Amino acid sequence: MLEGQDQTNPITSAGRAGLREGEISELTIIAPLKDGGADRLREKLKKSASRQAETMAKIATVHDMRFVIFDNDTRLLFATAYDGDWDSYIDDFGTEIPELLNNMFNEVKDFPGIESSEAKDFIANHQITASGWYSAYPDATVRDIWRGQRITKAWNDLLDASQS
Amino acid sequence: MNVIGTETEELNYDDIQGIVLQERPTPYVGTYILLSIDHQQDGKVMLKRLLDEVTSAGQWSNPHEGAWVNVGFTYQGLQKLGIPQESLNSFDLEFREGMAARAAKLGDVNESSPEHWEDPLGTDKVDVALALFAPTKEALLQAEEAARRIHCELNGVSVVYQLDVGMNPDGRTHLGFMDGISNPRIEGNHVLNAVGQEAEIKAGEFLFGHLNESGTITQGPQPAELGHNGSYLSFRKLHMRVAAFRRYLREHADNREEEELLAAKMVGRWPSGAPLSLAPEADDPALGEDVSRRNAFTYGDDHKGLKCPVSSHIRRAFPRNSLQGSVVNVNIHRLLRRSTMYGPILPKGVMEDDGQDRGLIFAGICSSLSRQFEFIKTDWLNGGNFAGMSTEKDPITGKNEGEGMFTIPDKPIRHRMKEIPSFSITKGGEYFFVPSMTALRWMAELDQHISKEELTC
Repeated sequence: MLEGQDQTNPITSAGRAGLREGEISELTIIAPLKDGGADRLREKLKKSASRQAETMAKIATVHDMRFVIFDNDTRLLFATAYDGDWDSYIDDFGTEIPELLNNMFNEVKDFPGIESSEAKDFIANHQITASGWYSAYPDATVRDIWRGQRITKAWNDLLDASQS
Repeated sequence: MNVIGTETEELNYDDIQGIVLQERPTPYVGTYILLSIDHQQDGKVMLKRLLDEVTSAGQWSNPHEGAWVNVGFTYQGLQKLGIPQESLNSFDLEFREGMAARAAKLGDVNESSPEHWEDPLGTDKVDVALALFAPTKEALLQAEEAARRIHCELNGVSVVYQLDVGMNPDGRTHLGFMDGISNPRIEGNHVLNAVGQEAEIKAGEFLFGHLNESGTITQGPQPAELGHNGSYLSFRKLHMRVAAFRRYLREHADNREEEELLAAKMVGRWPSGAPLSLAPEADDPALGEDVSRRNAFTYGDDHKGLKCPVSSHIRRAFPRNSLQGSVVNVNIHRLLRRSTMYGPILPKGVMEDDGQDRGLIFAGICSSLSRQFEFIKTDWLNGGNFAGMSTEKDPITGKNEGEGMFTIPDKPIRHRMKEIPSFSITKGGEYFFVPSMTALRWMAELDQHISKEELTC
């Protein structure tokens, strides 16, 4: 059993917008796309899929993220669950991984660029706090889960080795 | 985005307050005085008088009265001085809200929550801070005299708080460690630079209007006359539970040597200041005294923290190269620390609390409260996830409340300390704006209706 799993965490605010339960927060952004942006975004997401996994491993605080293009290709819904507060790291994203994030969000109308001092406000202004949300493991961060997986594998390897 | 070239600019020492660029010579004595402004007109007279008393970095080696006087303003202090609303709006959100409003984020809860803070810290009575430092008690008295001149005969300006600070007789913190060893080196600051292996940090990380580590110019408060060469200062009064710290060590170690090792593992340095990274087995006082060596290290050969635990205080406060390969750019999360001690020392060997208030006044200078001070406090000291340590907190300053955990990597398996109490209790704090000399003049000249007679007394 994971530590703290038997406790119930109150759901609180994750900062300017979004909910937080335990170590995990939710973020949903709905924003209009540029003309023709939907197709370009689909193409970029397909192309960057492999590189994206690498970058997300570097960030190591994002549980999942989804890009949903809707309303006849005019709008984007971006939803994610992540550890901690996103705005803590927005400046690091701007200096360390600007290309990837800009690649993803440049098709959103008026996106100022992740390096911009206005990026934080832009995201907060397009963020909609969830009305309901459930997390199966509110106290486990991405790093906790990865470590748990490593330990489970090592433990099974040990059992396998000792029975052979 | 405002990108300029990479050429190094020389800083204007005569415009920047001394506390930002200069380290205090040792030994020193000091006092913090907090003022409340009840009448704007008197506040403005005080501003004009301040111009003659505040010590710039350029005057540091030969200060007025032989002492160093520096000044900061809270958001409401600026409001009460009649700074135009447009300018007020250009300050960062964290500064405008004030430290007390940020308590939940900073972990200042329960015993450390603002409702328990020492009056008037965290209230609307704190408008101006004067930081006075001097090499001798006599010079400090002269500086206090200067501070009195700043507000004398002004009924609308009153002293609401004063706290004497300084070095402990042994030059160490109340917990018994050398402090103030690691500070970033500022590019373009040739007056004084901390010796070490640390790369120079762009001035914009600490001063508004300069190139920063993100390659942009740090936008300060507007107009430029007000913001340029100014900084934010995070001021915190942290009560240290020295007896509780000693008892924890005693109860969790078998002998004196083990106690000293456990304390060093928690701090990341030995009492002398020698870092565990360079002296993993035992204290090395010669290393602790050697300014050219005691800060010249990285964690490159100690990824797992077998020498210096990943969760130790100094490795959290400044992870150096520990976070390489992650998304974190350590250079955008630095602070200039100007902390100092207050209260009587607890005599050696005393294990019970004597009821005296002792601790440190933390003073952290930066150009972004959210990205620097609040980030370090929230993500690195009160969190552990950044280093794969889950919810483990800083063993020395973390909000541990009797439930704290501290992992000491070792072979074949790690040790884990449990039930760590809070050794550091927040007794109050404020965010101050530390303006340049130009900004002080700009603030003072907003209103020209002050007669010469009012300026002296």
